[in-house]
Amino acid sequence: MGLKRNVSLATALRYKGQGPFLTYILHRIGGLGMAVFITIHILASFVGGKAGVFVNSIYENWLFQIFIFFCVLFHAINGLRITLLDLFPKLLEHSREAIWIEWAVFLPVYGLAVFVIVHTALGG
Amino acid sequence: MQVTLKIFRYNPEVDKKWHYETYDLDVDEKERILDLLELVKGHHDGTLSFRRSCAHGVCGSDAMRINGRNMLACKTLVRDVGDKITVEPLLGLKVIKDLIVDMEPFFDNYKKVLPYFINESPLPADGKERLQSPEQRARFDETTKCILCAACTTSCPSFWASDDYLGPAALVTAHRFIFDSRDEAASERLHIVSETSGLARCHTVFNCTMACPREIQITKAIGELKMATLTGKVD
Repeated sequence: MGLKRNVSLATALRYKGQGPFLTYILHRIGGLGMAVFITIHILASFVGGKAGVFVNSIYENWLFQIFIFFCVLFHAINGLRITLLDLFPKLLEHSREAIWIEWAVFLPVYGLAVFVIVHTALGG
Repeated sequence: MQVTLKIFRYNPEVDKKWHYETYDLDVDEKERILDLLELVKGHHDGTLSFRRSCAHGVCGSDAMRINGRNMLACKTLVRDVGDKITVEPLLGLKVIKDLIVDMEPFFDNYKKVLPYFINESPLPADGKERLQSPEQRARFDETTKCILCAACTTSCPSFWASDDYLGPAALVTAHRFIFDSRDEAASERLHIVSETSGLARCHTVFNCTMACPREIQITKAIGELKMATLTGKVD
């Protein structure tokens, strides 16, 4: 009877949940990015040799550093917002403002970090 | 105004796979999406299937995805969604036909939180009402507004992943009774919602709050339940 209930990733991502849903998706990407980074990092240190050197060269790439810093910083700030809202449910009425504050904190810090990474990478 | 209405279609007796059908309609911008669906069913294709009942935002029958977001078709005006409109069934529930989904898993979860008043104590001496102060009543006023349309639950990524999750609507109902000073089963309900298929699966995404056609602060209600399970207090 009927179509299955499964919701594909593509369908889920197309749901128009606006700002809060975007932070949820970015939070997951950040968490996944960090998990993959740490896992490969640990494995590379065990493997050593050419494979280890190759993996290290990825970490040292400035594009990768921009990505991983995004993962860490966004995951941390967004996680802090959610923790505060969970601890103080009354604040949940102001979730929209909380997201604006989150972006207001994230963008300058991340922008500065990207500037420093790029400046360093391009031999500044 | 001219609108292009794209509707998700699936008839299990005819179709192997779902598809979209598009209708060009001449409508007034103040008409509701439900009016457009009625127009298609009445004048273009009588086989189109969708749920509706009161058509005034009270019964909660016609929740569906309109331009990618859960809304009630009877409360959404054409001017609010533009001239290109896509209507699809709710996510996370089996599609029975066209825009009609199988609501059984939704109501199964609803039943799990004991959605009824429980008080085994004898009636007051006068045998009449169990009195409640305006403040006590106001404590759960917000969550009495739920119409069980499932717009919240089917907008929740945790529910998309697993229909074991109680979902926002069931948690809102739990909130309505847990914080009712006359009810005596708060601890039992708190135990139910604190199990792995309950509050722990809420990741504070806010899709539910944004989808609620009654503007219930669902995430706040769930947040209060989380605190109640931590502290054991339901004041």
